[in-house]
Amino acid sequence: MNDNILEIKNLVVHYVTDTTTVHAVNGMTISLKKGESLGLVGETGAGKTTTALSIMQLIPDPPGKIVSGEIRYDGQDLVAMSPAEKRSIRGNKISMIFQDPMTALNPVLTVGDQIAEVVRLHQKISRAKASIKAQEMLELVGIPGERYAEYPHQFSGGMKQRVVIAIALACNPELLIADEPTTALDVTIQDQVLDLMEKLMRDRGTSLILITHDLGVVAEICQKAAIMYAGEIVEYGTLEHIYNNTKHPYTIGLFGSIPNLNEDVDRLQPITGLMPDPTDLPQGCVFAPRCPDASEKCRAAAVPVVEVEPGHFVKCVKYHG
Amino acid sequence: MADNEVLSVKMKKRGQSKEIWRRFVKNKGAVLGLAFIVLLTILALVPSLIAPYGFDEQMLSRRFKAPSLEYPFGTDEFGRDIFSRVIFGCRISLTLGLVSVTISCLIGIILGCISGYYGKVVDNIIMRFIDVMLSIPNILLAVSIVAAMGTSFFNLILAIGIGAVPGYARVVRASILSVKEQEYIEAARSNGASDWRIITRHIIPNCMAPIIVQATMSIAAAIIQGAGMSFIGLGIMPPTPEWGSMLASGRAFIRDYWWVVTFPGLAIMLTVFSINLLGDGLRDALDPRLKS
Repeated sequence: MNDNILEIKNLVVHYVTDTTTVHAVNGMTISLKKGESLGLVGETGAGKTTTALSIMQLIPDPPGKIVSGEIRYDGQDLVAMSPAEKRSIRGNKISMIFQDPMTALNPVLTVGDQIAEVVRLHQKISRAKASIKAQEMLELVGIPGERYAEYPHQFSGGMKQRVVIAIALACNPELLIADEPTTALDVTIQDQVLDLMEKLMRDRGTSLILITHDLGVVAEICQKAAIMYAGEIVEYGTLEHIYNNTKHPYTIGLFGSIPNLNEDVDRLQPITGLMPDPTDLPQGCVFAPRCPDASEKCRAAAVPVVEVEPGHFVKCVKYHG
Repeated sequence: MADNEVLSVKMKKRGQSKEIWRRFVKNKGAVLGLAFIVLLTILALVPSLIAPYGFDEQMLSRRFKAPSLEYPFGTDEFGRDIFSRVIFGCRISLTLGLVSVTISCLIGIILGCISGYYGKVVDNIIMRFIDVMLSIPNILLAVSIVAAMGTSFFNLILAIGIGAVPGYARVVRASILSVKEQEYIEAARSNGASDWRIITRHIIPNCMAPIIVQATMSIAAAIIQGAGMSFIGLGIMPPTPEWGSMLASGRAFIRDYWWVVTFPGLAIMLTVFSINLLGDGLRDALDPRLKS
């Protein structure tokens, strides 16, 4: 038995329609230790949210399909579980925070009832006890407990996201998946929400997968980072590895796109081109068409993953052999 | 300490219904509708206390008396007091409206939920069945059901109720289709809620507005249809005072004795109107988002 709370092995997820097949996630392998927090970084369409939904076993089917691979939570394969077993894990052991707090709360239920609901779904306690628990959760995320009986529309965006966090953490999950939790919020509120999340996770020893396209956010609260591109993880390692010993050309390109406070530059260095069409991925390395260092070797065959230093994995031929 | 907290939550809850009431009262039309419905309900519960005469008290010497203090709505061809008959008719019409709508509402919501939530083949089967029902004119459907099962009050209610099912099923299905794509439904699923819980607790409450509108409109429609069925002789049998059958039997005298048909007709009209007002008011008051 190892201490990995989550292990994903060779996960392949396709969205199949009558005419095309979208290759959303292609052979993704990743693991997460207890109490660890991982930042999953990538562009729009890189397959981050699909990965999150696969872990929750909430891929809309049809058209989505987990073609192959395993997702092991605490050693059990989530893909093979019965619907009832999946339900008992969702919200209880693994919770998810959605991107847009404006739409993630049910407009006709009070926020307190929504927190109490998840508690009552997973714990056999009375309605009264659940509502006390809900009030405690509200206080915990910095909302006065008296606002228990108010409706989502009476809260601001930042407070709604706090409520969403309260719902997600109400059952003390071991793993929290946050899908761009701060994207819909303004910058000052972003910071507050991130601080709150970080504090709660640290207090409770919850593991975190943070999905974002913001490398700054990852640097703030994660210990590890995985860079996703076109459904694959191209670079994976600790923050130290990713930020200070950047290997993959795509990651280098990402950092080149961020303005640096200490340097005076006229123009940023964006990555040229666009993500490949997920219905028609290129042969060989998926990043090759945009890669400044691409060679014939890149386009020829699938690229192996190389461990360039302990715990630092890169999927690029440059570091192979 | 803990008890106090529970208490405060409960008090907040009471505050909510107060809030709904406050919003409802703001709508003058809705209050008027409610007042009239309350009046009708009282009439339906204890008609004999209010009606000056019995509904079947015939006296040929007082046929076709014009409205007066003694007979506020006049008398009909058998010398029965129309005011009393209208009052006794409340019970029939209100029961008919409420019970038939309850039947169609329940069946319609169940069908609509299954169809909208699960989609695919189930949806196709249910909706094609609904299409078949819709292709039969409502009155024909009701007439055939009553003709097949025999004329009785209950069969009439059933016939009208079944005829209204397609409307509900369609309305419910349509709103479920839009609500089930919302992120909070996915969020509920990610919290481990079962399909049943998602449907009953998250989806249906969000579909209430169109359902309430449909229900109030179809209570009115059911009362009218009941009156229509009685009018053609397949509903309530005389001497039971049903407003529609009163219209039917009075229509022969409309040229000379206008009050025989006017008052039952007014009763139908006012009832339908106030139910519609009430429904609109309810819909607005129950939606927490429309707070101003």
